[in-house]
Amino acid sequence: MSTEQPVILGDLPSLSKLYVNAAATAARRRVLGFQAAAELPHGSHEVHGVRADVENLTAYQHLIGETASDVLPAGFIHALAFPVAMSVLNRDDFPLPLLGMIHLKNHVEQLRAVLFNEPLDVRSWAEDMRGHRAGTQLDVVAEVRSSEDGTLLWRGVSTYLAKGVFLPGVDKAATAAAPAEFTAPAPTAVWQLGVDTGRLYAAVSGDFNPIHLSLLSAKALGLPRSIAHGMYLASRALADVGAVKSEAFRWDVAFEAPVYLPARVALEIGTVHSVSGQWERSDYVAWNPRSGRRHFSGSVTAL
Amino acid sequence: MPATHSASAPHESTATPGTLRRAVVVGGNRIPFARTGGAYTKSSNQDMLTAALDGLIARFGLQEERIGEVAAGAVLKHSRDFNLTREAVLGSALSAETPAYDLQQACATGLETVLGLANKIKLGQIDSAIAGGVDSASDAPIAVSEGLREILLDLNRAKSLPERLKVLSRMRPKDLAPDAPNTGEPRTGLSMGEHQALTTAQWKISREAQDEIAFNSHHNLAAAYERGFFDDLVTPYRGLSRDSNLRPDTSMEKLATLKPVFGKSLGAEATMTAGNSTPLTDGASTVLLGTEEWADSRGLPKLAVVVDGEAAAVDFVHGKDGLLMAPAFAVPRLLARNGLSFEDIDFFEIHEAFAGTVLSTLAAWEDEEFGRIRLGLDGALGKIDRAKLNVNGSSLAAGHPFAATGGRIVASLAKMLHENGPVDGRPARGLISICAAGGQGVVAILEAFSAPEGR
Repeated sequence: MSTEQPVILGDLPSLSKLYVNAAATAARRRVLGFQAAAELPHGSHEVHGVRADVENLTAYQHLIGETASDVLPAGFIHALAFPVAMSVLNRDDFPLPLLGMIHLKNHVEQLRAVLFNEPLDVRSWAEDMRGHRAGTQLDVVAEVRSSEDGTLLWRGVSTYLAKGVFLPGVDKAATAAAPAEFTAPAPTAVWQLGVDTGRLYAAVSGDFNPIHLSLLSAKALGLPRSIAHGMYLASRALADVGAVKSEAFRWDVAFEAPVYLPARVALEIGTVHSVSGQWERSDYVAWNPRSGRRHFSGSVTAL
Repeated sequence: MPATHSASAPHESTATPGTLRRAVVVGGNRIPFARTGGAYTKSSNQDMLTAALDGLIARFGLQEERIGEVAAGAVLKHSRDFNLTREAVLGSALSAETPAYDLQQACATGLETVLGLANKIKLGQIDSAIAGGVDSASDAPIAVSEGLREILLDLNRAKSLPERLKVLSRMRPKDLAPDAPNTGEPRTGLSMGEHQALTTAQWKISREAQDEIAFNSHHNLAAAYERGFFDDLVTPYRGLSRDSNLRPDTSMEKLATLKPVFGKSLGAEATMTAGNSTPLTDGASTVLLGTEEWADSRGLPKLAVVVDGEAAAVDFVHGKDGLLMAPAFAVPRLLARNGLSFEDIDFFEIHEAFAGTVLSTLAAWEDEEFGRIRLGLDGALGKIDRAKLNVNGSSLAAGHPFAATGGRIVASLAKMLHENGPVDGRPARGLISICAAGGQGVVAILEAFSAPEGR
């Protein structure tokens, strides 16, 4: 990250406006042509004094399968920081098309439990644009600190892929190693996801990306059907790991085949304890029980 | 952190056949009680019970501990929550190998979980237990009307489209009216408040006496909060750190201005107001129980001992007794079995469903005729020292989330007994009396913990 002055936003940006703006930018760039820079914008965006809306928190917790406690689920903090991250990707000098970007993986460090009534400072920036065999990928980093004493509470790194976009000056990645053969284990749970899964998660997370909302809006963006939000799936897996996890933890997820709605998703969660019986790690993997294709996998690890 | 147990490890039971162990109250935790439609409007029973449980786990270091058994319940409970307590355990930091069961005895639910689990501990079946209760009047289950229910069930059984359409054609607008739970008694059609209004009038309880009970409840509870009494009994939840019904500044004058809400059509003067009746409330409470050895091995406190309990029921259906008068019968039986009288009790915790309930019960105990004819005594059971009644406030101030009230009272009383120290060389003693719908009541005796002789 550079030393450029951060852009301080007065309030959390509206995600629906950002999506509209992204669509307009895409149209403008198509019509007028756009010479993409081979560089990411240098600055970070910040919003200070963010507070969770308690009613929205409860709705989020119930949808994800968390008990409505006073502690913010790690995925909820991601949703809280998401508009700030999106505003970075929405800048005029951001070189990649925002709409249609694919969430490849997500890494979160939850450093301590965050209570719903704590004021939070959110800061986000983009970094490490690099080649991918199918296009260009980059990391969007978000940091959430206590507004009171500046302690880092939560840090998230989301890796996105702009498929089919190859920028001059960005090296193409060497061909990736062939993905490991996946054999579905015995499931520990099966989720039944209705067609409205995307709309329900959009309502609690604010992420109204059209690919998640309906058959028609997804088709407009080239998908055969709407797909579940990656962070909805990962957050449900985190909820299924349960209260066994420590207060501070690392949470990783790698997304593979998208979950087209409606869907049945099979899940396996394995828990690793230390010799003294302390929880160390929970690993999860989810797949399509009919085709056996892997949807996503990840782990929650004690920090 | 205590070592975790494997599912197959037997309990290190310390019971020898034929002797009863003591069931000790280690402590308790509840979330502040909230008036319905307030801070917990969107929180479910499971959310609130888990919140109370998690606070208890944090306070006593029970993370990943396998507890002997957890029992709790809710009065307003949806049928899908059949395993409410087990689900709360699974959502908590307790070991997932902790068994749990649901119990429901109307407003006596919480106290009955304490008594049932204490008995298991005494018998040597378990070494530790968590009792509790929860209720949400905000997030109450709503059933569909009987007509719609039958149509939906028939629709499910219908095999073809024409059959389904035929079933649907039976639907009438009135079938869409939901069937919300209420506090009415199924056999009399009278609400609990109307029932109590009959009893209040029968025992000639004055408006002023009822308002005084409410006044004391608010002022005693506020004073208890002020001096930090609840610091290790309550965990904040959803922004609340005190019971939202508490009015520290209420006065007899203010209470006197409130209009009667119950008993307006009974002929006699209506005396029961929103001030001297409990409001609908959301909340949850838990109590940690164990053997002395279990508490000692974890360095946990031993506040009080669950001595004994008694349930009673009255025939209120045809007006022989008031709906909420069962404790008037349970208490004398419990005292007699334990060879005790009112003079041997240092704290009286009489649940304030309505101020009129407390006063009607006291009036019955003070009544010669009731003592002779109904209780079979030589005369009146006796008069209690009012200075020992609900000294840290009760339901009129705290609110009354039905099944959560028992846990609130047990944990508070255990702490009071422990703080009080011995009385005339014996451990301090407390009596709990809780009335319940259906003409029932459950009462119990707790005693401050003291090391047995010779230790």
